[in-house]
Amino acid sequence: MDPISNEIRRLRFLHGEMTQQELAQKIGVTRQTVNAIEQGKYSPSLEAAFRIAKVFGLPLESVFHYGSEK
Amino acid sequence: MPFREKTAWIAVASMTLIYAIYFWSVWQHRPETRFPYLGLLATVVALVVVQVGLTIVAAIFAPQDAKAPRDEREKLIELRAARVAYSGLATGVACACFFGALNPPIVFNVNALLFILVTTEIMRCSCLIIQYRRGA
Repeated sequence: MDPISNEIRRLRFLHGEMTQQELAQKIGVTRQTVNAIEQGKYSPSLEAAFRIAKVFGLPLESVFHYGSEK
Repeated sequence: MPFREKTAWIAVASMTLIYAIYFWSVWQHRPETRFPYLGLLATVVALVVVQVGLTIVAAIFAPQDAKAPRDEREKLIELRAARVAYSGLATGVACACFFGALNPPIVFNVNALLFILVTTEIMRCSCLIIQYRRGA
């Protein structure tokens, strides 16, 4: 499993139960990629990570965590 | 199943089946002097027809996925698969060079190289499928 964890699932829920497909369209990737990021199977590029954070209107460190830090 | 995984399945299935027929035919007849050009041409035509046909069908069922450019994860998956296939290709060509030095019939050499090329392409597509299945 990836050492980078994230809050995407929770943030999607808090943003009007946004679907993976909607988030994928907003950041320009496939739904499968959003799913892989959420499950920690794939670490997004820095650019994609910033795009995700921008969608939720949060700083990067509020969306992604490295290792056990939260 | 993502569109690109479907196309990888189509490539693996069609190449395995069609080239198996070709290599089986070559193995049965064992031409030593004359290369089976017509057999290879028929194989390539059959492969193109089957792959293009099935890819069009897959695209009809997922038009948005088919039109969308590869995203960063898909590019990474393709790069990893190409790296694995390259190792197989390099090893296969090295073996072919070694056996080529033993002066086998030229038809054998050419078919051996073709076999290596086909096998590594199947290996590449299989790696794509494995990674898509894993979700990585």
